[in-house]
Amino acid sequence: MAQNHDIPPALLGGFEPLSRRSLLRLTAVSGLALTTGCARMFGRRDAPEALTYVNMTEDEVRVVTRFTRAVLPTARHGLPDCIDEIPTIKNIDIMVGKMAPTQRELLALGLWVYEYRPMASFKFSRFSKLNDEKAHAYVVAMQEGAFFERGLTTTLKALVTLNYWRDSRTWQALDYWGPVTERWGVRRLGNAPLPMA
Amino acid sequence: MSRIDTVNAVPAQGLNVVQASDVSAAELTLRADAVVIGSGAGGAVAAYELARKGLDVLILEAGPYVPSTEFSEDFNDSLERLYQDHGGQTNKEGDLLLLQGRCVGGSTVVNGCVSFRTPDFILEEWGEKFGLTNISPEAMRPWFERVEEHLSIKENGEHEIAMHSRLVRDGARKLGWSVKPFKRNIRECALTGHCLSGCKTDRKQSMLVTYLPWAMAHGARLHSDTRVTRILENGGRAVGVKAEVVGHDGIKVADMHVDADIVVLAAGAVQSPLLLQSSGLANRSGQVGKNFACHPSMYVAAKYPHEVYPWRGALLGVYVDEFLTPEKGGFILEAGGLGAVEMCLLNEPGSGKPFLQFMEEARYKSGIVTLIHDHNVGEIRWDNGRKVVDYKVADSDFPSMLAALKASAEIHFAAGAEKVFVPSVEKLEINSVDEIDTVLAKLENKPQRLRLVSYHPQGTLRMGADPANSVVAPHGETHDVKGLYVTDASLLPTSIIVNPQVTVYALASYISSEILKRT
Repeated sequence: MAQNHDIPPALLGGFEPLSRRSLLRLTAVSGLALTTGCARMFGRRDAPEALTYVNMTEDEVRVVTRFTRAVLPTARHGLPDCIDEIPTIKNIDIMVGKMAPTQRELLALGLWVYEYRPMASFKFSRFSKLNDEKAHAYVVAMQEGAFFERGLTTTLKALVTLNYWRDSRTWQALDYWGPVTERWGVRRLGNAPLPMA
Repeated sequence: MSRIDTVNAVPAQGLNVVQASDVSAAELTLRADAVVIGSGAGGAVAAYELARKGLDVLILEAGPYVPSTEFSEDFNDSLERLYQDHGGQTNKEGDLLLLQGRCVGGSTVVNGCVSFRTPDFILEEWGEKFGLTNISPEAMRPWFERVEEHLSIKENGEHEIAMHSRLVRDGARKLGWSVKPFKRNIRECALTGHCLSGCKTDRKQSMLVTYLPWAMAHGARLHSDTRVTRILENGGRAVGVKAEVVGHDGIKVADMHVDADIVVLAAGAVQSPLLLQSSGLANRSGQVGKNFACHPSMYVAAKYPHEVYPWRGALLGVYVDEFLTPEKGGFILEAGGLGAVEMCLLNEPGSGKPFLQFMEEARYKSGIVTLIHDHNVGEIRWDNGRKVVDYKVADSDFPSMLAALKASAEIHFAAGAEKVFVPSVEKLEINSVDEIDTVLAKLENKPQRLRLVSYHPQGTLRMGADPANSVVAPHGETHDVKGLYVTDASLLPTSIIVNPQVTVYALASYISSEILKRT
């Protein structure tokens, strides 16, 4: 643990010092909620290689990127790549920029937990340094873990998957039709007439 | 009371709403006969019923005015623009998402159009246990008929029963269970499947295109972006409200003071009790905010061997009412469609390859929404300035949740499903009828086990004859404060199992008639 002087040592063996309430709140405010914060990013077309991340730290970007790769091995399924083609991480970064300070703090805590939690069982490796296979195994283990681990993993999965599948370029593979009214030219009915009574 | 006899034409489209961007003064002082807090089901109906009898009505809505031309049919965007807390309102455990509209028209803008009358046995129970004999099934019938006519409520035609709903109907019929087409408040449904993002062509008969423009034709005024912060009382009588006008950037634009002889509280079953608590009013019983129920729902998805396209066609087609009464289980099952993007939130198929496979097979999925008759065990309150939704599924309700899950799985398999996905936080799948009991036995009523969503908060200002254990009298006025009425789902003294919008419309109509009798 010498390589992590900024980490309270107690946290590496367990999570008792972490605020149960904070973790619950993190789960509560994210899931659907935080992911909607970047709704206006929908349809973003920036080339991912040109993207810079201004709201997450480098460490956080590494954790989120590792997590995204573990949850969405898109390249092996013929889907648009979750990092190189679809700006999943940039979408999340922009969302983070819109978070309230409390939410931002909780996300940081959650990502910190995810990064350092595997040290006990993966030979002192951080999550972001695990290979694909081990990172996937870790995510699966967290999904089946204690209640806050389940909640945290569910939250991060929601963040990542929504920010991938919100991009219309991913819809063709699903045969999803997206918004249709304007494409179909559906007539507007307007306000209903005043009733007789 | 002033009397407004002029009736204007209803505009073809849209509403003439005073928004924060229209306000230039730092302080506004307004006068009305009746101020209505909230523009959803309870507020809009009350506003119309009072305005059409000549009262000068002012409607205050905390949320923004989003005309239907701006609806995007993108659920993520809709959550941010149209829903309370940008779609992130949850219980304190974080495992129950509480979806409520927060816009002009309230939840009626973003609901699935399902239109049930309150079950007779529920109204009878209210009469027996809460002294609400004035709203018996017979007494409420004309009010139901009135709102059903106003809102074009009719049974789904066969073309409105999409593939996902036909599968559920087939499965229920094979099991010999009662299954019926929904009634919905919609005209000429365009079958886009985007109900939860608002109806872009005004076919859904939400308050946005019905009671609100009608109320305004009778002279009612509507201010959006206006959050009531306090109900004012003098000598045991409501005399108006204080409010803040807040711009879409979150910055306060103006303070508002409204003098009114009648205050109608219809901010919804979460916000209404919070406002009474902030105001320090109407809580002699200690019941303000208590007795919260919400129909905790699950989306039970299944994979079929053929394409279903759950996002195609009318969102909600049929329901199974075999288990409606408490003796038979106290739950209903609703065949529900779903967008592809939302699908990744409601189930846990695993991570990596299984997750991608689950999404790639999205078009093969169908789903069932479960609604249970939950007990009123929750509470809404402030905690250091934070709203708290204190609700956990009661242990006594958990068997109903499991029974609803089991029945949903049985329907799916009877309809030919290959696999059922349990809406749990961990990956749980059922591959045959024989596995149902074994798999469901793994579920526990603990935090972060099930993925729960509620669309129907209710019960937090319950109605009853006894002032010692209820907040609102049978005619809709609070026991403690004269001239202060409630017309939203806070009134419901027990959960009603079915979607509550018609119940609220009918109660608001009835209570409005009681207000008029007293003015």
